[in-house]
Amino acid sequence: MRRALGEPLATRKELSDFLASVERRAFKQSVFSVHDEEAALDIVQDAMMKLAEKYATRPPGELPLLFQRILQNAIRDHFRRGKVRSTWTTLLSNLGMGGEDDDADPLETLEVEETSNVPASPADRLEQSEVMAAIEAAVQALPERQRQAFMLRYWEELDVSETAKAMGCSEGSVKTHCSRATHALAKVLKAKGITL
Amino acid sequence: MNENEFGAKLKPWLERSAQAVGDFQATRLKAARLRALDAFQEPVRVLGLVAVAPGTLQTIQYSIVQRALLWLPMAALLATLAFQSLHESDPGELDAQLLSQELPPDAFIDQDFRTWLGKSGG
Repeated sequence: MRRALGEPLATRKELSDFLASVERRAFKQSVFSVHDEEAALDIVQDAMMKLAEKYATRPPGELPLLFQRILQNAIRDHFRRGKVRSTWTTLLSNLGMGGEDDDADPLETLEVEETSNVPASPADRLEQSEVMAAIEAAVQALPERQRQAFMLRYWEELDVSETAKAMGCSEGSVKTHCSRATHALAKVLKAKGITL
Repeated sequence: MNENEFGAKLKPWLERSAQAVGDFQATRLKAARLRALDAFQEPVRVLGLVAVAPGTLQTIQYSIVQRALLWLPMAALLATLAFQSLHESDPGELDAQLLSQELPPDAFIDQDFRTWLGKSGG
């Protein structure tokens, strides 16, 4: 990643604002991956520290991709070190690989509500919290690479090329992972009768 | 609905999920952020023109000093050897060189030189 000559470097405030904006998402991403809040907090802390220590010479525009690369590496290292053993089984990994029994594309039939406003009544709030929990569970159950690709593309809004760099894979792999992830999620949400 | 639309629809839910992290986790994240900011050093400007990482100049200076210190013993050794070689030349060899040189004919006419030459040879 080369910096254009004369491009201003990130200031302390810019770094602070960036970290404040990304820290909760990074935490959730890590929790989805490692299934352990304590470990996820450590991962985010390590990633923040590394960004601040090693990449002070980068302009602010490069911080999101840099941070995602560091975060994804930190998550990968966590698994490599074997601190946490995954004990969960995934419904969606099977669905992502197979799904021969249902030819219909769930994305084509998934209903979408036009608004996603904050619900007014307690009953609605309860329903929304249940929907949120179901979505979290569905995302968490995705295979690791599919979830990574989906999070980076649609939550962090990186483009395919940036996502490929952050994940250390080809752009084609990113597209495949994203496609499988979205179809698997849509299928689960549809099965639960959830409309977004 | 295509993939992009689906992703866009899911994003607000994920954002809501992120904002709903507990107080304890939020406090830990803030502490981690502040710790990272403590480790961050603002870039410094060199001659008011180029901004570089704060450690860069120290690294360059350190490496120059470090290299000088590494070469210092070697330079001292070479200087000592050169000095010794100049001052430890064999006097006999110098005499031989002096005598083997062609002398001007006038030297042999000079009485004092002939006297000295006779004594030295004698």
